Amino acid sequence: MAPDALQGIVRQQTNAARWNGAGWPDFVAALCAAGVEVAESAATRGIFATDAGGTAYGLPHGVVVARSAAQVAGLLQAAQAHRVPVTVRGGGLTTEGESVAYGGVLLDMTGMSRVLAIDADALTVRTEAGIYWHGLAEELRRAGLDYLSAPLNMTSSVGGTLGVGGIDVNSARLGCSADQAISLQVVTPTGEIVECSDSENAELFQRVILGYGQFGVITEATLKIRPYTPLSMHYYYYSTLRSAIEDLQMLDANDASDYSGILTIMDCAVNLLVAFDSSEREAAFKANWEQRLRGHGEFGFALCMAGHYALRPWKAGEALYLLKRKQAVFPEFRRPEFHRDGRMEDRTVVFSRAVWKHWGSRNMVIPDLATSADKFIDAVERGNAVCRKFFPHYTLYCVGIKLRPEHKPHYEMSCVPPDAEGWAYGCEFEPMIEDAVYSRDHFQSFKNAIYDIGVDLGASYYRFGGMMKGYIRRVFGDALVDKHLAMKRRADPAMILNRDVIF
Amino acid sequence: MYSTAHPRDYPACSGCSLCRLVCPMWRSHRDPRFSPEGLAKARQNGAAVTELADVLDACVLCGACDPVCPENIDLGGMIMDLRRDVPARPEQAALQTGYRKAAAAPDAAPAGALLLPGAALRADAGLLARVLELLGIGCATDDGADIALALEIGGAIDPGRRRSFLDMLGGRTLVVGDGLLLRELRHWLPGARLQGLGEALGNLGAIRRRIASADFYVVEARAYHADHERLVAHYDALRKESGCSMNLDLQRIAIPGCDEAEASWMLKGRRPARILVESPAEREVFRCVAGVPVLHLAELAAPNEEMHNA
Ligand SMILES: Cc1cc2nc3c(=O)[nH]c(=O)nc-3n(C[C@H](O)[C@H](O)[C@H](O)COP(=O)(O)OP(=O)(O)OC[C@H]3O[C@@H](n4cnc5c(N)ncnc54)[C@H](O)[C@@H]3O)c2cc1C
Repeated sequence: MAPDALQGIVRQQTNAARWNGAGWPDFVAALCAAGVEVAESAATRGIFATDAGGTAYGLPHGVVVARSAAQVAGLLQAAQAHRVPVTVRGGGLTTEGESVAYGGVLLDMTGMSRVLAIDADALTVRTEAGIYWHGLAEELRRAGLDYLSAPLNMTSSVGGTLGVGGIDVNSARLGCSADQAISLQVVTPTGEIVECSDSENAELFQRVILGYGQFGVITEATLKIRPYTPLSMHYYYYSTLRSAIEDLQMLDANDASDYSGILTIMDCAVNLLVAFDSSEREAAFKANWEQRLRGHGEFGFALCMAGHYALRPWKAGEALYLLKRKQAVFPEFRRPEFHRDGRMEDRTVVFSRAVWKHWGSRNMVIPDLATSADKFIDAVERGNAVCRKFFPHYTLYCVGIKLRPEHKPHYEMSCVPPDAEGWAYGCEFEPMIEDAVYSRDHFQSFKNAIYDIGVDLGASYYRFGGMMKGYIRRVFGDALVDKHLAMKRRADPAMILNRDVIF
Repeated sequence: MYSTAHPRDYPACSGCSLCRLVCPMWRSHRDPRFSPEGLAKARQNGAAVTELADVLDACVLCGACDPVCPENIDLGGMIMDLRRDVPARPEQAALQTGYRKAAAAPDAAPAGALLLPGAALRADAGLLARVLELLGIGCATDDGADIALALEIGGAIDPGRRRSFLDMLGGRTLVVGDGLLLRELRHWLPGARLQGLGEALGNLGAIRRRIASADFYVVEARAYHADHERLVAHYDALRKESGCSMNLDLQRIAIPGCDEAEASWMLKGRRPARILVESPAEREVFRCVAGVPVLHLAELAAPNEEMHNA
């Protein structure tokens, strides 16, 4: 562990305290009388013992599979009356325990996962919110349609994503998933079923979007969609983070590509990916922007690397790792069955498969920094230095998020940094755990060291809840957090809904 | 990175939920218990097999979960193992006794490559004759139907019976109609030349030529998933060549035609001119839900055509 990792951090109890179970039998009896099944077997509860991070553990007293807004409303009314905490879970892809229940009810939203209506003329879809984005894509594709942007992970749900953000490699152009929501059906913490949008119950809409599940359970969503197009992908390779990020931001600022992002093998092989929905956009990029990129093609980069490591034989281990990683990962992005006529048919399938196969592990810590465009290089370089200190191997994933000025109220106290204008940028710092065993303290110190950079820079974080919630007051300040806490208390008098995530 | 050691067992499940995306029992129940992940997690949390009987019964053993598991857990094998501890239904047990008796005194197998038709194809004598003619190979009188059923229902397989069956097959090229038996034969006869019925028929020019872009082609899920890495290329080529659509999802995992709900899901938003199936059993399912002709692959080519071509 780095000796200075905990500097300046007040050691707070950020792991949620387990709820003591007072009144549970009466609560279950009330639900049973209302026809709601509460699964109490260890086998069922155990499915939800942790989240994708695998470092936060907690068992609910019982599990309810969501079936309808009315059922969820009944559940929340009973939970308010009996003061039983309810933790909502979609895909459970959080890494800080935000979707882990430390007692009380775990409400599994994937039970509500049907597409309700596709309007191909208006280019909208109405769907139940527990649906996985991948499930939504399967249905939309049959109609030649697609969602706009979603996490590059097949098992994230629409409702869970709208509450936290949703970043895709087209977010620099289309914004985050949360910006694609037109209206929502929400069950409030006191059990009212409310439709909300920017024009109807706007205040609720603003709090639920990017609201980390504090102000209601999203049961249905109307989202913007678009015609489906396969995409043509180009990769450029850099040996420094700085030049790759500068080029990424140059492309984004000039609307030069439809997709853009950076994926690295440590800081030695930095891959800028650029992709297009149409041949016209691709041709315009080639004519106007490609020659301005400082990255190399695969062959050119291999030559540079060979020269670099030939002069530094003591770094042979690093060179070998890069080579092995390249051999394992690159074919995954080029599998013929996911391409047709040189175009990638589904980016989420390709990336998600690669992520789970080559980045995933039973423990995943993915601290991140979200900053304004001008602070981003500094944030990434400092975060990179932290990664080097804590882990032999790691990866960085950087992407821009186009902001919508009219959505400023949605962004308050969210992953969108308060000072960002035009674009925000996010970087995830993901150590490769491989077969190593690290203590929770090691992980926690690493996360703290990354999050400290955010405090210093005035940034925000994608994953600021759960075990990292100690940072919320430090980055947003007491006044803003107290304002939201007061709103939460009004909306959720017994403080039962996702109570351990933020406050 | 997850471990690549294979096969692994349920303790390795970390709950990524990728198996849910492709699981027909999850699709029909939308309940986390009804998924391979749910079963693995239940076992990790000490559930007795008897508590899981409903879920084990609901699984159609399509094998879709195996190729998508990043932990390389043999999920299909896990479920088949767990089924062994759940008592078989009486009608299944009776069927197995019948198959066993039939297998007790088989005629000598013809020389050379063999078709093991499986119960569904054998039940349709006309179709079986057509398949044999098209493939130009002999038919095994003992096609291991009792073993296939035992695999399906978790029944016991007598080691002596298994040995004599495998001895009879040793060294031959085999076309196997039952996807579950094919899956196991790949383990039991490593290095043998094994093909599923769909792949074997799909390789015949007389059939391949007749697959049209307006067709909806239903890949038999069990055989496909048991050899997914290789077969994904076979079907991708077929899809590109013919322009037909298939029951493969965006991950190139097959949706099984096991019941009307799954068949309806496959056809949702699609208007094919014909449906082509590899499995005779699935032909019946599609006939119930589709208002268009449903043909077995073997019905595409005129009898004798392939031999004349040859
Ligand atoms: C391997 C990996 C890759 C990832 N890749 C990306 C990526 O590319 N882009 C990206 O943006 N993110 C990514 N993430 C993060 C993750 O995708 C997001 O956290 C995800 O969108 C959350 O969706 P979910 O359904 O898993 O939500 P959950 O984890 O289930 O829940 C998230 C939060 O929302 C609450 N919640 C869940 N459902 C609802 C609901 N219906 N109503 C109200 N509150 C609800 C939960 O209580 C929790 O607090 C990745 C995570 C992992 C582990």
